[in-house]
Amino acid sequence: MSRGGFVAGRDLDGDIVLHADAVVIGTGAGGSVALRELARAGLDVIALEEGGHLVSRDFNQREDVMIPTLFQDAGGRATEDMAIRVLQGRGVGGSTVHNTNLCKRTPDEILDVWARRCGVEGAGPAEMRPVFEAMERDLSVSEIPATMRNANNEALRAGAAALGWRAGPLRHNRVGCQQSGFCELGCSYDAKQNALKIMLPAAVDAGARVYSDVEALRITHEGGRVTGVVAAARDAEGRRKAAIQVWSPVVVLAASAVGSAALARRSAVPDPHGQLGRGLRMHPGAVAAGTFDREIAGWRGIPQSYECTEFLSHEEGSDRRVWIVTAFAHPVGAAAVLPGFGAAHMAAMRGYPRLAVLTAMVHDETSGEVDVDANGNPILRYTMSEGDRRQLAQGLVACARILLAAGATEVTIPAIPPIRVRSAAQLDRVDPSAIRPHSVPLTAVHPMGTMRMGNDPKTSVVGSTGEHHQLKGLFVADGSLFPTSIGVPPQISIYSFALHLAPHAIARARA
Amino acid sequence: MPGPSTHPDPPRLPRLSRRQALRSGALVSLAALGLGALLAVGRTRGYAIDPARRLAVLSGWQFVVVQHVARRVVAPDRPDDASIPTADGLDVAGFVDAWMALMPARVRRDLGRYIAVIEHVAPLGAGFTSRFTRLAPADQDAVLASLEASPVALLRAGFDGLKALILMGYYRDARAWPIVGYDGPLVGRPASGWTASGDRP
Repeated sequence: MSRGGFVAGRDLDGDIVLHADAVVIGTGAGGSVALRELARAGLDVIALEEGGHLVSRDFNQREDVMIPTLFQDAGGRATEDMAIRVLQGRGVGGSTVHNTNLCKRTPDEILDVWARRCGVEGAGPAEMRPVFEAMERDLSVSEIPATMRNANNEALRAGAAALGWRAGPLRHNRVGCQQSGFCELGCSYDAKQNALKIMLPAAVDAGARVYSDVEALRITHEGGRVTGVVAAARDAEGRRKAAIQVWSPVVVLAASAVGSAALARRSAVPDPHGQLGRGLRMHPGAVAAGTFDREIAGWRGIPQSYECTEFLSHEEGSDRRVWIVTAFAHPVGAAAVLPGFGAAHMAAMRGYPRLAVLTAMVHDETSGEVDVDANGNPILRYTMSEGDRRQLAQGLVACARILLAAGATEVTIPAIPPIRVRSAAQLDRVDPSAIRPHSVPLTAVHPMGTMRMGNDPKTSVVGSTGEHHQLKGLFVADGSLFPTSIGVPPQISIYSFALHLAPHAIARARA
Repeated sequence: MPGPSTHPDPPRLPRLSRRQALRSGALVSLAALGLGALLAVGRTRGYAIDPARRLAVLSGWQFVVVQHVARRVVAPDRPDDASIPTADGLDVAGFVDAWMALMPARVRRDLGRYIAVIEHVAPLGAGFTSRFTRLAPADQDAVLASLEASPVALLRAGFDGLKALILMGYYRDARAWPIVGYDGPLVGRPASGWTASGDRP
């Protein structure tokens, strides 16, 4: 077995050829667990990560520095019609580096639907419970105590309580949190118990090799079996530095629902039933901002520690599909969301310390698609359904109601034109049809579902083992697997399904 | 088999490229982009730019347009307050140029076209016959407001994108933080604070 370690692709001097029992593409939640499990099984395993390898001392809490470093397309990724900004991580650790550490299991109702309606075997609530428990132990998941709740989250709690709405504290995977509030720019204090800190070092200890700055260009395959990956190492400016050929009988795709599907498409992976890339869900959301007559300073402290689930049910066919949490940003992010420009915008920005911001995130039924352009770059097609639009509108109105109940003197929904209300009575007169894509700024941070699992090749891409229906040795271990939206933050689901499916990849590699 | 879940898949979405979407948006967008492209080719002279300026992505005339847009997007709410930094003082347009170099080529291309629309076409739509960069500030505001509220979704989206870049170029800078009461990163923060110390993170 090779000795494990981290290798920076930008430091490679020339083209290289590697051999491995398995190669994992992507080092986020799914890839890191798959890598660890394969390595612990005694297999010679390599991970390829297109982004760089940053550690806590590199996270300088600057938006202008960290956003282009930690996010795909310098934070500018969007759906093709530019209606929804899609934030996705890149770099060793993937999106677990910049996420806000929320830990919720895949709801039982969702697992039941996958089993009953999508032909997913062996992943019902009873089978997955011990997997979730194991992963939560590894990640030191705990409830966020009330003492760590900042003023923005306290406004959510107070507003929901005043309305008598269902709400409660969230769970997270932080240990030693300094409550700096810069979670979305990477943790400078190593408090995140994530892929970067927990999973990948464990994989390397077990012998895995992790190559950063290496973009997987295509998966190679022959005769219905994968044979490896063609990749390119890039320097700090993104210029091609070296060619890398990895020969391996097992390839685990864990490059996100966008990256994995795009790579599979670039690689001409068999798709006889036109399923590859379809079923894109992403929990699109928008915000409402309340102005208070006291300081909120929402950029300080844990960004998200409380939730309102009054309008969220995971039951099949539910018409309550909105999750409400806080959504605060540092000045750059806040400025982009506030409506208008010029003097009026600057005047509004002066109220930044007194703003509390909530987001309504839709547990979406819309089914989008990931395709690639002529250069192999991903294209995201997603046209929000009318049902989802209504959910979004309902959710934003609910956010406004919570903020008013918590004491906001004015609530702004940044539509065109902006919706501003000062009372619940004014809110009752808001036309919800004004809340729609291209009118309100939408953001999505949870792409999923483009290489769905299921036992019927006509309606899914991979089987219940995670292995591709037509291409032996190709496994998926990220959010691409999910047949539907899950309606909760996906990291625990992704970590856990990667753990759940890893034995099948191990068995294939040994075979 | 019934739909795969509570959220059954609709038929495959119609393929609509960004360019196709632009073309199909409305007659306004057709006119805007077509005319914009024509005019952009023929009317790229007469822009004053510091010869020492080295641009990463933008051409000289595009840079000047972005400078003008930036001045309006972060126009001060208190014009007589000299402590408010200006867009030029923080080199916001230079930041936009540098940031665009990080973007995928197709996004850079679209943004470049959008800058041409702002300069040559959007003024016509707002009732002006001059280039954007030759308009008075109040008239420039009217042009930008027309884009922000355009009935064409992609024109609005383009404005939002450029606005976001400009605001990032402005509010990333510690000299702008006193406006919003932001105290900046904890990492490396001087004992006296970023803005009080005059340091920039």
